[in-house]
Amino acid sequence: MRLKKGRPDLLIFFVTMLLLAIGIVMVFSASYYDTLDKDPYYYLRKQLTWGLLGLVAMLVMMKIDYFRLKPYVNLGFGIALIMLIVVLFFEPINGARRWINLGFTRIQPSEIMKLCMVFFIAKGLSKRGSNIKDLVAGVGPYLVFLGVVGALIMMEPDLGTTLVIAGTTGVLLIAAGLSLGHCFFLSLTGVAGVGGLILMDPTRINRIIGYWDPWSHAGKEGYQLINSLYALGSGGFFGMGLGNSRQKLDYLPEQHTDFIFAILGEELGFIGAILVVLLFFIFAWRGYRIALTCPESFGCLLAVGITTMIVLQAFVNMGVVTGLLPVTGIALPFISYGGSSLLITMLGVGTLLNISRYSHSP
Amino acid sequence: MEMRKRIGIVFFGVAVALVALAIRLVWVQFVMGEELRQKAYATRFRNIEVKAKRGIIYDAKGRPLAISVSTDSFYAIPAEVKRSKREKEIAEQVSKVLGLDQEKILELITKRQAFVWIQRHTPEEKAKALKSLTLPATKEFRETKGLPGIKYVEEPERFYPKGKLLANVLGFAGIDNQGLEGIEKTYDKVLSGISGTIMVEFDNKGQEIPDALQKYIPPQDGNSIYLTIDETIQYIVERELDEIMKLRNPKKAGAIVMDPQTGRILAMAMRNTFDPNDYSNYEQSNRRNSLISDAYEPGSTFKTVTMSGALDEGIVKLTDRFYCGGFIQVGNRKVRCWKSSHGSQSFIEGVQNSCNPVFITVGLREGVDVFYRYLEGFGFGKKTGIELPGEFTGILVSKKLAKEADIYLATMAMGQANAVTPLQLVTACAAMANEGKLMKPQIVQEIRDREGNLVKTIEPEVVRQVIAPETARQVMSILESVVSEGTGKNAYLEGYRVGGKTGTAQKVIPGGRYSTSEYIGSFLGVAPVNDPRMVCLVVVDSPQGVYYGGQVAAPAFKNIMRDGLRYLQVQAQINPEKITGNKQKTRELPSLLGMDISKAIKVLSNYKLKAEVVGKGTTVKAQLPLAGTKVVEDSKVVLYSSIPAKGAEPETVVVPDFTGKNMAEVKELAGMLNLNFEIQGSGEVVRQEPEPGKQIPLGSKISIYMESRVEDALQPIGP
Repeated sequence: MRLKKGRPDLLIFFVTMLLLAIGIVMVFSASYYDTLDKDPYYYLRKQLTWGLLGLVAMLVMMKIDYFRLKPYVNLGFGIALIMLIVVLFFEPINGARRWINLGFTRIQPSEIMKLCMVFFIAKGLSKRGSNIKDLVAGVGPYLVFLGVVGALIMMEPDLGTTLVIAGTTGVLLIAAGLSLGHCFFLSLTGVAGVGGLILMDPTRINRIIGYWDPWSHAGKEGYQLINSLYALGSGGFFGMGLGNSRQKLDYLPEQHTDFIFAILGEELGFIGAILVVLLFFIFAWRGYRIALTCPESFGCLLAVGITTMIVLQAFVNMGVVTGLLPVTGIALPFISYGGSSLLITMLGVGTLLNISRYSHSP
Repeated sequence: MEMRKRIGIVFFGVAVALVALAIRLVWVQFVMGEELRQKAYATRFRNIEVKAKRGIIYDAKGRPLAISVSTDSFYAIPAEVKRSKREKEIAEQVSKVLGLDQEKILELITKRQAFVWIQRHTPEEKAKALKSLTLPATKEFRETKGLPGIKYVEEPERFYPKGKLLANVLGFAGIDNQGLEGIEKTYDKVLSGISGTIMVEFDNKGQEIPDALQKYIPPQDGNSIYLTIDETIQYIVERELDEIMKLRNPKKAGAIVMDPQTGRILAMAMRNTFDPNDYSNYEQSNRRNSLISDAYEPGSTFKTVTMSGALDEGIVKLTDRFYCGGFIQVGNRKVRCWKSSHGSQSFIEGVQNSCNPVFITVGLREGVDVFYRYLEGFGFGKKTGIELPGEFTGILVSKKLAKEADIYLATMAMGQANAVTPLQLVTACAAMANEGKLMKPQIVQEIRDREGNLVKTIEPEVVRQVIAPETARQVMSILESVVSEGTGKNAYLEGYRVGGKTGTAQKVIPGGRYSTSEYIGSFLGVAPVNDPRMVCLVVVDSPQGVYYGGQVAAPAFKNIMRDGLRYLQVQAQINPEKITGNKQKTRELPSLLGMDISKAIKVLSNYKLKAEVVGKGTTVKAQLPLAGTKVVEDSKVVLYSSIPAKGAEPETVVVPDFTGKNMAEVKELAGMLNLNFEIQGSGEVVRQEPEPGKQIPLGSKISIYMESRVEDALQPIGP
């Protein structure tokens, strides 16, 4: 290719490192009490390991020119699709079949699919850029793929990841030039679909109830949100100090995974919470800037997809924790405990950094 | 370029979303922050109540009657027990110490509860043993510090150091230190204080958080109460009641002693009674204070009321003459006198004889309105207002009914038909002894805080002037004559001017008829009549054998008065007019110190007193009783002598017997004999070292052990 290689985007790199560090510290703090009588360092050790693995993965991806991955995109998508089918044959954990147990570790195919989908759509859209205005021939195939992937993930079930994948795909379509009329139509369809999915499952209805009026349902539907709000509220401006969270004492479920942001807000206060929001904002700004400065459309769409995937997920997670959105189980990128999620996020960031090396000043 | 614009839109959307998130954070963490923090706080903290120490109940002299002792109460936090994974071992250890079933303990300490009591108020030794328990190290576990999840708190427990003494008045406090009966109940608020709390932070599993925040609001201990009761007089009264129980085997017996000048209750006791330390093992009836809660038809003791009204109204004079033919016709009914016939008698003789026709005549002369005025004036038919729970008003025949037929007034005049409580009767008699002023019966005189600072003093309260002072004095002298000349002779107390009235009433049995076999014998009296210090009523319900008040109640009354007056240091006085022939004379003992023994013996024999010499000396070094003490003829005076200070041998002295001596006597005696002494305790001597009769060098030290006996302030008069 004729592209000239430059320096990667340092700001994205630092933001990532900072978020990763905050994550490791918070996972330790949030999980410490829960595992006190077994091994209080268990989650710290695992998160450190995954963090290091993620770092290595990021650095490797930074080295590999993103366009060299293009030939493997369909293969990767295919493998991810197969894994999504395979996962359905595993024993459910907490009522959901989200993990493939490899013995030494568990992997989450939906996470893998998240990244593969971005690659897959970015590749496709960059090829037929002009066709995007055609709803059936241009956009149709992606909607079909999204439908298949979404259906498979919903069979696990995992609404949060489905929404993130759908949202990311939508953003990619918009970026690629989806006509506004189609956009409006598809948004309506999407909202109706989500509404349908919610109505299908009493758990999800309860979550809506808990979101709408948590205080009247403090014992059940609103329990998690209320305890999350207790944590954030207790934090105030400066927080209760690192390690001093009280809501992590078995009051707030998922305190080291999906609801880690509440513990962060309790221990580090508004200062800490707004810092995390700000870091994701910087991440979004730099991520979309990379897209804008990328000289060719595959890299551009890839950058948009990866950035959107991470920031959208962060927003949904923090929105859930603060009660802005109804509860849906989704990890906070970089910070929540969870190997697959962290590794995929880091691979994405690595790719993003690689794309940034080919940027030209706009 | 289209795509650049689109990416700009996407970024704008993301920015809007993140700003919304930031606004939401401001809302949750600032605007709602405090409220949420408080709510979170409330869910995490649990309050453990810390009981306040219940105030002490003292007698009038500051002697404790009910105290609070700290005991340890053991509880388990099942979550912590289970977390240790050694619950079986814990149950085994605990059950061994407490002597309880292991399975039950295991079940208890693993219950799905945040907190369970294992045992409250654990005895000290067991508590000590429990606290020192640990689980040994095993292959799997390390040795523990204490037993995991087994904890204790200090809880105050009520203890009544005098056991049954005053039990029916004191009442008792339950396991949670709440006053359930008696003074403990009426003064529960004062005594109980305000509980404190320990606020402990718990996690959601009910486990205490390591380095949790704790807030401690200390309890405010209860205030102490000083009763008007005097422990010594109370003891005397209870001793006499025990004697009655032994001798007469009645269903019940009770006595009240009141200071007529203030209305203060000095003693109040019931038989049967109970031990408040072990209240649950006694019948409810044993815990009842019948002296205030039950009414009875008092019989002749009530004639004092009839008499007071008639004298106050001038309806009868002491010298008026009456005739008793053994009965009196009232309307169409014949009312019998208790004796076949008293013949012709003056009013005063009628009282001395407790003659029914005399009182019926007087009562009918008074008429219903006058009679009721005094009845109500003395407080009958209404609660006296004593600060004890469960006071009864008594039952009076309605005025309307009394006006219908003379028989009602006739029977009321002799003390029947109306039911009154013993306390009402004592209070009425106290008014007669207090120049006609009715006092409100008082049981508590002071409230003090833990440090002894006065919180409240309860002053004596005059209710009203019932009869004129002159009338009251007349009543007193009549009552005195009843004791010296009349039916109350058994209450005669040498050296003191005692007035009183016997009472023997047929018991009303269920159905409203009078029993022919059950009687209530009583004695109501005052001493000394010229300056009344004690009013006392002794009531004996259904004694076996003899039942006349003069026989079953008067002796106890007499003993109570004798020991009580001496205790109150009321000097015995001789009233020659009142002393009849066979009574012993009392003399004031002269000082015999320094006299030759032989001369001293001569002096004593002039006084018709016997002498006992202790020691081999020739002069009197000490004497007992001390000079100035009033003694009756024929009593023994002990003279202590010592060997003269000559000769080769070191001076020695024979150790005198100190037993029963009070502090002043010990000091004087030891001083005379040049002995040093060391006193432990107070009251009177119960033991000494060396023993009496031993020869020891002058200046040796004698160890003396004293104990507070009831008679501690009594001046010995005669044997």
